[in-house]
Amino acid sequence: MKRSAKPTLIVFGLLGGLLLLELLLPIVNLLFHADWSGWMAALLEPGAGKALRTSALTSAIAVVIMTLFGVPLGYLLARGDLPFKRFWIGLVFLPMVVPGLAGGILLLLTFGPNGAIGRPLDAWDITLTNNFAGIVLAQLFVSAPFVVVSAYAGFAAVDSKLEMAAATLGDSRWDIFRRISLPLAWPGIAAGITLAWIRALGEFGATLILAYNPHTVPVYMWVKFESNGLAGALPVAFLLVVLAMAAVTISMLLSRLTGYAEPVGVREHAPGRLT
Amino acid sequence: MKRICLSMSFGAILGTLYFVPMLLSCANRTENRKVSVLYAGSLATVMENGLGPAFAKASGYEYQGEAQGSLGAARMIHDRLRSPDVFISADPSVNEKILMGSQNGELVTWFLTLASSQLVLAYNPSSKFVDKFKAAEAGTLLWYEVLKTPGLRFGRGDPRTDPKGYRTLFLFELAGRFYQLPELPRLLGAPINPAQVFPETVLLARVQSGQFDAGIFYKHEVVAHKLPFVSFPPDINLGDPKFSAAYAQTSYTTPSGGHVVGAPILFTITIPRTVKNKVAAEAFVRFMLTSNELLKEFGLGNVEHRAGGDITQAPAELRSLSEGKYQP
Repeated sequence: MKRSAKPTLIVFGLLGGLLLLELLLPIVNLLFHADWSGWMAALLEPGAGKALRTSALTSAIAVVIMTLFGVPLGYLLARGDLPFKRFWIGLVFLPMVVPGLAGGILLLLTFGPNGAIGRPLDAWDITLTNNFAGIVLAQLFVSAPFVVVSAYAGFAAVDSKLEMAAATLGDSRWDIFRRISLPLAWPGIAAGITLAWIRALGEFGATLILAYNPHTVPVYMWVKFESNGLAGALPVAFLLVVLAMAAVTISMLLSRLTGYAEPVGVREHAPGRLT
Repeated sequence: MKRICLSMSFGAILGTLYFVPMLLSCANRTENRKVSVLYAGSLATVMENGLGPAFAKASGYEYQGEAQGSLGAARMIHDRLRSPDVFISADPSVNEKILMGSQNGELVTWFLTLASSQLVLAYNPSSKFVDKFKAAEAGTLLWYEVLKTPGLRFGRGDPRTDPKGYRTLFLFELAGRFYQLPELPRLLGAPINPAQVFPETVLLARVQSGQFDAGIFYKHEVVAHKLPFVSFPPDINLGDPKFSAAYAQTSYTTPSGGHVVGAPILFTITIPRTVKNKVAAEAFVRFMLTSNELLKEFGLGNVEHRAGGDITQAPAELRSLSEGKYQP
């Protein structure tokens, strides 16, 4: 048994290794292009700091909104007896497959100063494009599905016998949600929230259309690329890679703290671990 | 036996990962029948719906175009991120500053002026201020009076990334002098006023979808997208080489330190050193230089094909199409 398993693992290792190489090479290559002192100077420009603040703040707001609205939706999809359930789930997946640019155009037509929702608000002097609101709207559109889908998968994987047992003991639906469903589903949801945050941080296409100003880090990088070429874009690209690595590390730590080693929405089915 | 199996599967893996993309790129490489053209973004409709297909039909070559902002495109060639057969810029100075000279590796040694354009004020026909725009179009109301209307939204290009962006600044500066209204440029706010400044395609989308009432565009863009527009006098629209001296009275320094001086809007065409298919590139440039009627149909102005840089470096057949020297 053991002897025949080994070549399989070697072949799989090669397959996976080559793919990892394709992911790793561009990052290593970026470091070979490093001009550390020049990069530091570029990142200390006021524009870069402002973009970083804009990105950090908007993505944090977006993540809070996604969690507050997305987790209940995920629970509803997993446990509520919704009519046309598959349709709603499909709808949630839609923004994940629509290109950001297309999403941005759809959002602009709705929330722009002359859009279906933007126009009445405009009469009250409320603008939803070209400001933080526009950036958050774009980020929500592309990354909220990660939270909803991970919450849906997390709640659906909770053993319903546990919830039923609590119900027979007289717990209310809210108590069951708070004490059983949410804690059990949380590691998956937390991983989903982290993924959504990374996605929001890196959002470019929809943001460019909906809120060119104030620049987020990806839009700032594009402006630098257009106006200063590679020398302008590389330091910002480096910053984005560092931010992504930080996010992945935080996600790993979060999972470690909650007792799960992998920052993914799927838990190991090792016996004894779920109890 | 096992070892052979292993090395075979290793080969298979390498094959799928590295050779398949290579094969795909080979299949894509009908090299000698294809011409790749990197061109100024505002020409997208003209190139993709007009001149590109017309060239393909007339010559039998496959036309492959890519639209980028002129500055961005030149930077991409400079940084070796693109290697087009032909480069069309919306500003002669983009060639001179980013691609020509030994400091830029002589990526471009010559260029020919291809066509001219002018700035216009395009508006959305369903804007609530449409009557005012129509009055300006008919000449009964001055255009800047329309732009002063409270609640009217108008946009313009970003002077950091787009020649049209700084040309709009020149337009307003010239207008201030022409109408003797020094406060006129204040309609724009700061050079990079976040409420007005957008990337080329985004601005067009905003005006077309009615999210913005109007925008400053090149005439050929507006003609291509069938938007109504108000023309400016040639003294200020940057479209008439006769006013070169007046245009040159204006200038703008980008935040990154680049200095640009006002000049007529001229598109230039060249074959950069990155060319892979010289024959096709030559055929394409010749086709462009002899397509005045088509260019005009798409809202561009016809100009004498003046040569910038060292025209002796150009292929003989193109050299013969040049009509004098280009003076900035």
